[in-house]
Amino acid sequence: MWASLAEQVRLQFETWGLPEWSFSLANSLFKALVILHFILLSVLFLVWLERKVCARFQNRLGPMRVGRPHGWLQTLADVLKLLVKEDIIPESADRWLFRLAPVLVFVPSMMLFVVIPFGPGMAVYSLDVGLLYLVAVTSISVLGLIMAGWGSNNKWSVLAAMRTAAEVITYEVPLALAVLGVAMLAGSLNLERIVEAQAGGRWFILVQPLGFVVYLIAMTAELRRTPFDLSEAESELVAGYNVEYSAMRWSFFMLAEFGALVGFSGVAVTLYLGGWHGPWLPPVAWFLLKTFGLILFIMWVRWTLPRIRIDQLMDLGWKFLIPVALVNIAVTGVYLVVM
Amino acid sequence: MGYLADKTVDVIRSTKSIGEGLGITFRNLFRPPITVQYPDERVKISSCFRGMPALLTNRETGELNCTACGICARACPLGIITMELGKDGKKRFPTSFSIDMSRCMVCNLCVEACPFEALGMSNRYELAETQHGSLVWDLDRLSRLGREHPASQVGQPARKGGEE
Repeated sequence: MWASLAEQVRLQFETWGLPEWSFSLANSLFKALVILHFILLSVLFLVWLERKVCARFQNRLGPMRVGRPHGWLQTLADVLKLLVKEDIIPESADRWLFRLAPVLVFVPSMMLFVVIPFGPGMAVYSLDVGLLYLVAVTSISVLGLIMAGWGSNNKWSVLAAMRTAAEVITYEVPLALAVLGVAMLAGSLNLERIVEAQAGGRWFILVQPLGFVVYLIAMTAELRRTPFDLSEAESELVAGYNVEYSAMRWSFFMLAEFGALVGFSGVAVTLYLGGWHGPWLPPVAWFLLKTFGLILFIMWVRWTLPRIRIDQLMDLGWKFLIPVALVNIAVTGVYLVVM
Repeated sequence: MGYLADKTVDVIRSTKSIGEGLGITFRNLFRPPITVQYPDERVKISSCFRGMPALLTNRETGELNCTACGICARACPLGIITMELGKDGKKRFPTSFSIDMSRCMVCNLCVEACPFEALGMSNRYELAETQHGSLVWDLDRLSRLGREHPASQVGQPARKGGEE
């Protein structure tokens, strides 16, 4: 349906006598806008949801006063506040790094959405090396985080940046290894092919439970969410790599964090939970339902577990997740050969 | 093999404890929130809750019990009670009476000192005012408060003939 619609628009462009590239440009711009709005709207919703869920876990009510019922306009009010707040750049900061960092953190989390198939044929770009692309893109954001930490010229933010770097680089490895098992089973790196391989309830979580657990843990660490939130441990590091940021620059970090949360959950759903497959409801609805269900689970974990120490973090990554992921690959390989 | 076995035990144990933790938070998710949204909702206060002092009125005659004897003013550790005495034949009554609520610490000493059951602690606890002057409560407001809060007489030891 989408393809035919795009084709019609392309023909219309031709009858207007516009060059070929103008259609490509309009097409990409339109898709980028759709993705951007999807991210912004889900972040708007998720920040509210996070506060609500956290409150209910702690027998509180959470935001109640901005917008009835249940303060649903709270995040919108927060955004308005952030927009009009003063943008402060510390005198001793490295101005270039300081300004560039929020963007560099946000862009990779948006780039995740390029290959995620929301429904049949509904990925922005059905990349044949989609999985490789994902693994590559997710590791860019750590650069932005280090830039933010270093550029702020603040000891807390540098400490946080070093922790972030250690954490993200460590968990990049098991993440890629876990994903490899799925690629072996599906026989493709294209995310749409992977979802198609899970048709009829043959979700990869059933054959790759170990891979799913490793992916889930590594993903939580990549997102720097509790219990792996060492990089923004409020009680130790004031706030983390973004101590010196205020107003919209700060909110870009927030946006990137929650955007990546949606992105990583979307990838997890695509790889392990059958993507858009499901009865009765339209494919897109199933995809979103599963994604937000997984996000709820991650929030649940966040408000249950305490933060772990940096040495435990390294232990878990190198000594547990990587061996387990390797075993998973070996078992998958044997399974493929034998079957 | 010893190492692997240890690790396996570790994994099983931590999985179990994480599961237990998730179970606890899950149970709490469905408990009703204990938040009281203060200006909209209020906690039900006990009938013997001690708030600010008030001037009590005799229910039968509708007159204040106060005779402006000044014992409460002397009992007050902060000296924030002032009054003026008015006379009508043998009857003594206060023509003015004030308590500076910006300094009152709700200690109950004035009430204990009063020989006429004229003062009582009401259950009013919201003492914020929009103007400085309003923090000093005058005769009119104090006696109105005493009439508004019949609960303020509950729990006061009856010293005079059990008229209550």
